[in-house]
Amino acid sequence: MKGFAAFFAKEMLELVRTKKLLIILIVFIVVGIMNPAVAKLTPALIEMMSEDLASQGMIVGKVTVTALDSWLQFAKNMPAALAALLIMFSGIYTSEYSKGTLIPLLTKGLSRSCVILSKLSAMIIAWSAAMWLCFGLTYFYSDYYWDNSQVHGLLFAGFGWWLFGLLMISCIVFLSSFANSAAQVMIGIGAFYFAMTIAGMLSKIKKYLPTRLLDSGVIFKGELYASDCIKAVIITSVLSVIFVAAAIPLTIRRRL
Amino acid sequence: MIILSILELKNVSKSFGNKSVLNGVSFSVPENCVFGFIGQNGAGKTTTMRAVLGLLRIDSGQINVFGDKVIYGCNPKNGSIGFLPDVPEFYGYMTAREYLTLCGNITGIDRKSLKTRCDELLRLVGLNNEKHRIKGYSRGMKQRLGIAQALINRPKLLICDEPTSALDPVGRKDILDIISSAKKHTSVVFSTHILSDVEKVCSRVALLENGKIAFSGTIEDVHALKTGTSLELTLADQNDVKKVSAAFPDASLIDGRLVIPKASDKDCAELMKFLSERMIPIIRLERHEEALEDMFMEVIGK
Repeated sequence: MKGFAAFFAKEMLELVRTKKLLIILIVFIVVGIMNPAVAKLTPALIEMMSEDLASQGMIVGKVTVTALDSWLQFAKNMPAALAALLIMFSGIYTSEYSKGTLIPLLTKGLSRSCVILSKLSAMIIAWSAAMWLCFGLTYFYSDYYWDNSQVHGLLFAGFGWWLFGLLMISCIVFLSSFANSAAQVMIGIGAFYFAMTIAGMLSKIKKYLPTRLLDSGVIFKGELYASDCIKAVIITSVLSVIFVAAAIPLTIRRRL
Repeated sequence: MIILSILELKNVSKSFGNKSVLNGVSFSVPENCVFGFIGQNGAGKTTTMRAVLGLLRIDSGQINVFGDKVIYGCNPKNGSIGFLPDVPEFYGYMTAREYLTLCGNITGIDRKSLKTRCDELLRLVGLNNEKHRIKGYSRGMKQRLGIAQALINRPKLLICDEPTSALDPVGRKDILDIISSAKKHTSVVFSTHILSDVEKVCSRVALLENGKIAFSGTIEDVHALKTGTSLELTLADQNDVKKVSAAFPDASLIDGRLVIPKASDKDCAELMKFLSERMIPIIRLERHEEALEDMFMEVIGK
């Protein structure tokens, strides 16, 4: 436990001093503000372009924007923000293995599972803070300009994104137990996501896949309910635990 | 139970693919000694040390630290070993004090004694006035911090992997001084290919060659191996060379200097007597101790 506490404190200091946490927070704050801002500005933008569009034969009527548009932006922008976070964290383990910075600490009795779990905790904290901050900003401005009560399943959709992020972070933990570089981890994550997307094309298994949790646009519109996603939630949670549980023995056997 | 050997290797072998790096290495390190682990680059010194720390799986044999078998992937018994890697890498965003505090927290030293211990060690390695972060440190400063972190929990065994190899003479002297002062409280195993460092601080040595221990013993055993000293004489007048060579038939002329190999103290006195009696002017007379390098070359048959 003392090893975990000491190494976790080091991880948080690293996130702050290397400005990783700052960059992550800025990205998510920008996205959080942009979601309602883009929705708010859409009518003005379309109006500005209406003359051009009219000359091309397109007639634009009056555009009404609601809180739903703001939340649809959230669903659209979240993948890019999550990808940015995953890129930032892809080398969190492998850089320590390749530089050899862990060696002095491991020879002092720090266990490898402490290393895995404290880094995981730091990533979860950063992801949770950033994601819910982004969610909160979109929530606040959407409610300020329009009315959030028109949008369905807000909290569940947020939870879905958060859980999917956890799965991706667990995937970093798992891949790092045998990968040699951040690039290899990124390729592995890309392949995992691609495989889920391909599998999602088969409608039979779609509802079981973690990618189901990313259908927040459909949830906001009220076309998909939380009850339809229970299986995906369970499978995503179980898969995350398996990734982390498998990473521990693999990392213990890993040559450093 | 009385533990005679702090570290014991029995018939340790390790291959990487087809390349055999360690081939039945056996040696033991008794308490309270500075043990020099000598070998050329690529002889397998680092491999041996990593195996001792449980960072590398060995193919066969056994390693015991304080009588306990070392198991791959498991950490050494808490507090028993301090390790200084050949190129120590730290977290560049920390200061030396913060890094030592992290190490101390991992080993479970309580907060109050940790602060005193950090002060002590930073003074010992001369980093007590250094306020900058580690990323700006020179190689020598990192090496000194490396020793400090290795000593934080007062280990009974300190393992240093080539601590002086990449340093300038001043840096090397600093590190050797710190190792010498550490030996009061701990046994030290340090690997190197710089033999003069071994002569300065070690009480026992083992020479690793082709994955085997070619020689192992105390520093006195090493000196006993010495086959003698040589005399080197530079004469003021080259015409005198013949006179001296006639009297000392072993002498050979190399680059205008007369070299008498394996000369005893008596030979030296006789040479001086011969020169003074005949009033032969000289420029220089030197005695050369056989260097450790030469002895080890003989041991490994090169």
